[in-house]
Amino acid sequence: MQDILFYVFAALTLVCGFLVVANPISRSPVTSALFLVLTIVSLSGLFVLLHAFFLAAVQIVVYAGAALVLFLFVIMMLDLKAEERRRITRLGLIGGGLVAVAMAWLFRVVPREAALVASGPAHVEGSTPALGALLFTQYLLPFEAISLVLVAGMVGAILLSRKEPS
Amino acid sequence: MDLLERLTPIEQSVTFGALKVVGVFAIVMFLVAYAVLIERRVCAAIQDRIGPNRAGPFGLLQPLADAVKAFLKEDFMPAQAHPVYFWLAPALVMIPSLLVVAVIPFGSTLGNPDNRMVIADLNIGILYTFGIASLGVYGIVLAGYAARSKYPLMGGIRSGAQMISYEIAMGLSLIPLFLLVGDLNLGAVIDYQARGLFGWLIFKQPLAFAIFLVAAFAETNRLPFDMPEAEQELAGGYNIEYSSIKFALFFMAEYAHMIAASAMLVTLFFGGWTLPFFGLDQPASTFWGGLLHIGIFLAKLLAMMVLFVWVRWMWPRFRYDQLMALGWTRLVPLALGNIVVTALWLWLKAG
Amino acid sequence: MTGVGYSDLLAALAPETALVLAAVAVLFVDMGLMRSAPLRQRFLTACAVAGLGCLVTLGILASSGAHLRFLDGVLVVDSLTQWVKVFLVVLTLFTAGISAQAEFTEHVGEYFALVLLATVGMMFLVSTEEILMIFVSLELTSLSLYVLAALDKRTRHASEAALKYFLFGSVAAAFTLFGLSLVYGLSGATNLTGIAAGLRAHRSDPLLAVAVVMVIMGFGFKVAVVPFHLWAPDAYEGAPVPAAALIASGSKVASFFVLAKIAVLGFAGVEGSGAWGQLRAGWLPVLAVLAVGSMVLGNLTAIAQGHLRRLLAYSAIAHAGYVLLGLMAMGYPSQRSAALAAVLYYVATYGLTTVGAFGVASVIERVLGNGRIDALAGLSRRSPLLALCLMVFLLSLAGIPPLAGFFGKFGLFTAAMGADPAGLGLLWLVGIAIAMSTVSLYYYLRVLKQAYVVAGDEEASRIVVPWTDRLVLIAAAVGVFLLGALPELLLGPLARAIAGGNGF
Repeated sequence: MQDILFYVFAALTLVCGFLVVANPISRSPVTSALFLVLTIVSLSGLFVLLHAFFLAAVQIVVYAGAALVLFLFVIMMLDLKAEERRRITRLGLIGGGLVAVAMAWLFRVVPREAALVASGPAHVEGSTPALGALLFTQYLLPFEAISLVLVAGMVGAILLSRKEPS
Repeated sequence: MDLLERLTPIEQSVTFGALKVVGVFAIVMFLVAYAVLIERRVCAAIQDRIGPNRAGPFGLLQPLADAVKAFLKEDFMPAQAHPVYFWLAPALVMIPSLLVVAVIPFGSTLGNPDNRMVIADLNIGILYTFGIASLGVYGIVLAGYAARSKYPLMGGIRSGAQMISYEIAMGLSLIPLFLLVGDLNLGAVIDYQARGLFGWLIFKQPLAFAIFLVAAFAETNRLPFDMPEAEQELAGGYNIEYSSIKFALFFMAEYAHMIAASAMLVTLFFGGWTLPFFGLDQPASTFWGGLLHIGIFLAKLLAMMVLFVWVRWMWPRFRYDQLMALGWTRLVPLALGNIVVTALWLWLKAG
Repeated sequence: MTGVGYSDLLAALAPETALVLAAVAVLFVDMGLMRSAPLRQRFLTACAVAGLGCLVTLGILASSGAHLRFLDGVLVVDSLTQWVKVFLVVLTLFTAGISAQAEFTEHVGEYFALVLLATVGMMFLVSTEEILMIFVSLELTSLSLYVLAALDKRTRHASEAALKYFLFGSVAAAFTLFGLSLVYGLSGATNLTGIAAGLRAHRSDPLLAVAVVMVIMGFGFKVAVVPFHLWAPDAYEGAPVPAAALIASGSKVASFFVLAKIAVLGFAGVEGSGAWGQLRAGWLPVLAVLAVGSMVLGNLTAIAQGHLRRLLAYSAIAHAGYVLLGLMAMGYPSQRSAALAAVLYYVATYGLTTVGAFGVASVIERVLGNGRIDALAGLSRRSPLLALCLMVFLLSLAGIPPLAGFFGKFGLFTAAMGADPAGLGLLWLVGIAIAMSTVSLYYYLRVLKQAYVVAGDEEASRIVVPWTDRLVLIAAAVGVFLLGALPELLLGPLARAIAGGNGF
């Protein structure tokens, strides 16, 4: 059951992720944004399967609930039109073909020789208090540094989006 | 009962689960229908009118008449509309509010202590409600976009900005609660409140309640924050191009949102299914005691809904910039301050 | 958190904290107190506050001799990291100095705050051995620098440059993150020593190859090596001059240091070989390819440039190639300390030189209105000081003794030569490097010819160099000269710090 669900969610994530950037039917930015929402929801499904309930919920609250709503907001506000279909050039075709062959080779070789480590050290079984404790001890510094990242981002966003008085 | 006892525990829990889902769904839809009636009657009383009283005794069959009317009207789609999104939007508006109810404990037990009256007892209950509720905005934004027309688009944009702004205040307002309770599970929140009347979190965290209430009004798009609809400015906003049953879905979704918000308020601040008298704050040991708890929950829910309705007919609408200013410059700092004060208080208490 | 309290952590982070406070103070002073003052005064005041913050930070750095390692390497403080942080703060101080007379933006407080935040990011970057922290601080630096690059909103050119920088940067960051997540998946550890231990069982894993290449790609963007260099010429030319100076100097120093840490500590055991005729998979051959590309393409393309900052950008690409040689030498244990000292000496003096060169460019562009090399004609007559400083910086970049650039290159090349005890494995790279250095002499001299030999407009007035710029330029030029004449001034302490550290 778990395995089946994993494949379902993983497939959904990949297919939706593909449709975000290379949707053959529609090139409207709104459609892309909505497929991104689906990608994120499927990702949070994967988190649930890992018993990381907190991460799953936060994934939805932050990305689906806030970040992508802002994407849509901006798309609608700027009234972005559907992107023009890209012409496929010969160079792109050859390059893409080469990459595809290389990837195929990797996919053939990697599963034979690769072995991912089964589980990382921080195994908290979706327990929110344990996660909180980790954030305030072991990962305190990255946590604090992220607040600086946010400050920089905020200052930058305000700075760049404001009209210059000319 | 014989039939039940012959089932394995897994089959039992599946059966109970299914029964709970069907029961909760039925009750919510019933409440949605009658919330409309309540709204119209309360509005009429406030405006010194009588309100709908023709269909059935006291107008009790009015929701049925409304439903029939909605189905029989022409389902019109503007030629320039985006067909997929136009169909998707009403469904997307409705679904999240129905999903939120899944984690709300609407009663204790029906005699059997293993069978708690909540559809999904998640250990991150509150985060789940936030996650799902935040998806509700997509329906409105999409509806605004799909119609490819001016007013709906403005409604959609407004709703996007409004929802995000108030979600932050809403989330921050609840953190002090969880500092006190120490758990994100809604069942644990109710257990915490089962200590007499002043154990209710509304008395311990009145500021959090006030912020949450204001944010809940904004999240449900109810007056005084119904900017996305704003009949006088946007002529109905995001749902202007909709008719027939699709419009009815938007209409119902508003009440479903209201029910979900009321259920959250009752659970978080008013002790959920408990009452501090007659030992009603302990899980029921009999079937009838369990029903009584569900009744208490529904009664509190109805009271909250009447509050929502009452506010709608008493307050004028905010201006858009006022709405943003209130959210960002008042509620968010207040909620942050509340977190700090609560944390300090807990720290001092712990010595 | 064994035996480490929050106060210990705070004490170890005192320099970073001081800079963050300075950033807040700049914002407060500029937006609170100086709101209605004229732009010139605001720039001077904000520069003074930021400079004061840098000086305080330098004081803290100089007075602390702590050797600490917190939380499995999330924070590593030893005399080596303190030295690198000193370089970074000095470069930031100079950057602030050359922006004191700027007028490219109304947002003075935000500008200086972002400069300081970027520096904080770089400081975090050098004092961590944990990939999560590395990524977060990398993002802090990058995000601040993207905004700084975009700050000049008056011209389309600047916006284009900023957009290019941002798009390339975010894609590169995604690659880094993906690579690091693969590394974590393979090794199950997030700190570099743990990663090296965890990777021991996976040395021939193709997935590891993908991870290594992706991580190096991400950092290759930060240090602008071929083929990840395409943003550099535009960003160097389009961004405000001081912002470009920071991108070209401080960010390079930090990125090279952390790239060396990741490669040497994290990917220990998967070096492979970059020796001629015996290439073996690992990070050494990857760096070898990047180094050759950068040295050749950077130097050859620089010849064709007509804009001073564009020329500096291509020269920066070439210099990144030289530094990669030093990084490769670090892959051989026998040469590790010597190569590390050489790399740090090189990037520190290179940063100093670049800031100086950008300082000259800043004054010239402010006065002449454009930064084309043709416009330099007659500079020696219009401002002997500027011309002299330009000569010192460019000759140092070209590697002429007794300037710092010469000893930098000398150290790098000898480290690379002695790297492979079995034979002269990296000799082919050193050969290319020396050949390309001679090429570089041509285009540096071309600029100097414009400044000294070509007669300019006889009517042109003298260029007045403001005292802040004069201070920075003279300090940088003297520094370049002193460090070149007496390399032991810097190499000695660096060698001691390296010997006293944990082998890195």
